[in-house]
Amino acid sequence: MSELLIKNAFVIDPLNHIRGEIMDIFVRDGRIVESVGPNAEVIDAGGMLTMPGGIDSHTHVCGTKVNFGRYMSPEDMRAGRTKRHGAMHATSGYSVPTTYGTSYRYSTMGYTTLLEGAMAPLEARHTHEEFNYTPLQDTMANVLFDGNWAIMEAVRDQDTARAAAIVAWFLEAVKGFSIKLTNPGGTEAWGWGKNLTCIRDIVPNFEVTPADIITTMIKANEMLRLPHSVHLHCNNLGTPGNYQCTLDTFDLVPDINRERQSLYATHVQFHAYGGTSWKDFCSRSDEIAASVNNRPQITIDMGQVMFGKTTTMTADGPMEFNLYRLHHNKWSNHDVELETGSGIIPVYYSRKNLVNSIMWAIGLELALLVRDPYQCILATDNPNGAPFVKYPEIIALLMSKAYREAELATVHPDTGSRVPLPAIDREMDWYDIAIMTRAAQARALGIAGQGKGHLSEGAEADIAIYPLRVGETDPSREYDAIIKGFSQTEYTIKRGRVVCRRGECLVEGVNTTYWVRPKVSEERNILNDEEFKRNFDRYYTVRMSNYPVQDSYLQRNVCIDTEAQL
Amino acid sequence: MMRVVLAVKERKKPFLPIEAEAILPSAFLDQEAKLTVWKGNKELPFAEVFAVSIDGEAESADDVEIVIRGDSSRIKRIGEYMDGGRIVIEGDIGMHCGNFMEAGTIEIMGSADAWLGREMRGGSIICRGNAGDYCGSGYRGEKKGMRGGSIEVFGNAGDFTAEMLAGGSIVIHGNAGDMAGVDMHDGALVIHGDARMVCANMTGGTCTVHGTVADMMPTFVRTGQVLIEGTEFTRFSGDIANRGKGTLFIRRWQYMD
Repeated sequence: MSELLIKNAFVIDPLNHIRGEIMDIFVRDGRIVESVGPNAEVIDAGGMLTMPGGIDSHTHVCGTKVNFGRYMSPEDMRAGRTKRHGAMHATSGYSVPTTYGTSYRYSTMGYTTLLEGAMAPLEARHTHEEFNYTPLQDTMANVLFDGNWAIMEAVRDQDTARAAAIVAWFLEAVKGFSIKLTNPGGTEAWGWGKNLTCIRDIVPNFEVTPADIITTMIKANEMLRLPHSVHLHCNNLGTPGNYQCTLDTFDLVPDINRERQSLYATHVQFHAYGGTSWKDFCSRSDEIAASVNNRPQITIDMGQVMFGKTTTMTADGPMEFNLYRLHHNKWSNHDVELETGSGIIPVYYSRKNLVNSIMWAIGLELALLVRDPYQCILATDNPNGAPFVKYPEIIALLMSKAYREAELATVHPDTGSRVPLPAIDREMDWYDIAIMTRAAQARALGIAGQGKGHLSEGAEADIAIYPLRVGETDPSREYDAIIKGFSQTEYTIKRGRVVCRRGECLVEGVNTTYWVRPKVSEERNILNDEEFKRNFDRYYTVRMSNYPVQDSYLQRNVCIDTEAQL
Repeated sequence: MMRVVLAVKERKKPFLPIEAEAILPSAFLDQEAKLTVWKGNKELPFAEVFAVSIDGEAESADDVEIVIRGDSSRIKRIGEYMDGGRIVIEGDIGMHCGNFMEAGTIEIMGSADAWLGREMRGGSIICRGNAGDYCGSGYRGEKKGMRGGSIEVFGNAGDFTAEMLAGGSIVIHGNAGDMAGVDMHDGALVIHGDARMVCANMTGGTCTVHGTVADMMPTFVRTGQVLIEGTEFTRFSGDIANRGKGTLFIRRWQYMD
């Protein structure tokens, strides 16, 4: 039995409506409890800002695509090199660091849980292997279903229950967590050298539209009672004028879950563009935010772009090809049979570039214009918008109008006339930031019940203590102090153990993978569906019996069983 | 003026490489500094690898001359980030000599291994013997190779000489291996001997080959004849496959069969 007492913590815990109180926190065996004995280890937080461990609800850190980003950018490994030190392994890399690099840097910032944004089911083993070497965070993976042939056939036949049964089998087989749709149908079209412009285009050979796929999957998701909603990367990412497509997509979403959103739209910054070409490119964040404000069934994340070097990687193959034609640097393109694809290119977001400056502004505008911080999550779509180490700067930008003005003065001079940002006065407070970095994620992912994102009794003792004193720091003026404070915790506590102290990771750590196993009735079980099995054997290059990820790929793991309505 | 002589001691396993990025003139300005080298994952004091003798004193790096004696063919990264002064290597030198060098002179009496002067910014390197592969190039994935300064090799150079060249000049008095000047975008490359497949994907800069180019890239356009020091050269422009605006001056060439 190990016990820990955290004294004099200035706690902000939005899911419990604690807005900043000096409290003691008691921990026993990795869980928060009501009291501990006299022999407990004591940490004196001395009034420092204390919050539940951070959660990143959309990041690309583990898997084939990330690893290919490492392959093709050996120059990235020249940055961020650290030596082996104490319990810490050697690390390297900046936008696509080694797994330990990712884990240590997230831990230094107080993050304890990560959702891998896109895992191709066929290549799930690689993701799980890298999860095992991301030891200081708990992980879960979105599973890509955007171009799954069996799913698209079920959608064409308007058989939602069959789609749900197929999802159930895949989720269990690949130990995945939730449904991800990346440019639904578009990557399949890309297999034929085409793309889809928006939700009403028809996917070649399947006679379905992205709108059909999205609406069917939202219903199937609720049939399976998955903890998280459908996680959508909209069609037509990154093209001028695509905001209309995004608004049309939002119009499709019914409000069918009381606990959380029915759709999580990710990196919406990339989907909020006005204009008809790069010449008259502008921000339409206000319309997107207004749509979100009217639809409690939608949660978005920012997909904030920050200036500097990074690597973009997504399952959206055609979009990456368009980016390649803009940048004319290296490019990787990959097809995952019957399922999805991917593309990767390195990019540099420049302050001198008008388009990049507008992109930077749009992410911030979305966060500031969406009224309820539970509906707009802080993320950069790491590493697509920026490496996650930029989060503290984003927090400071959201908390300080003065900092935004100082930054606006350094970007392309025409930016101000293309974006609403200069007219926005809102400055977010500590409570808003706590929501946007942990509470909203826990609620959106449906993992508050697993003890994530809050500090109630029984919750996992994942706690971040930042060297910031809320009463003594004025975020709107002292933005440098905010950046510094959120960049490095005083203590990061994972499952009741101090894992990181002032940037020094103290333990080897063990990752926990959360995955979902929906229980489907025997008659609906896809394993009894001869057509599914016949097509699987006919089209895949692997046998169905060899497809599921073996248990040996998972170390510590938590299986979330759901009772499907099937 | 300070003269530092580093005589490499006899080693039991002379094949094991030693990383010696500490060997540069400015490092000897502080007499108190404890300089080390790395052998694998072991950090060794200088005295374990070299017999060190120092004569005179110096105010700035420019007043320091380092002489390396003995078998230095497996000693790597000498003169990395060098910002002045002079290094003379009496024998051969290992990989990555003069990485990122900014100023000063390195003279190698023997041959240099791969990556000589990679990504160097300024200063000069003279190699009296041969140079290995990737002389004056960029490291893996890097978009800019050598950016300034000069490299002169009196022997032959290996493959990928001047890859990603972005400035400065490289002169090879002997032959160059395959793919010299590949992806170069600025600067000047001169090869006095023969070469193969020069300047593929080049976008800028000039390359002159006094010998014969084998397997000449078909993606260059002939733009006329020029006289250089009394000899007639054919001028090419390209690489048009990459919308390049580089210039080649070539004496003789043959296309791939």
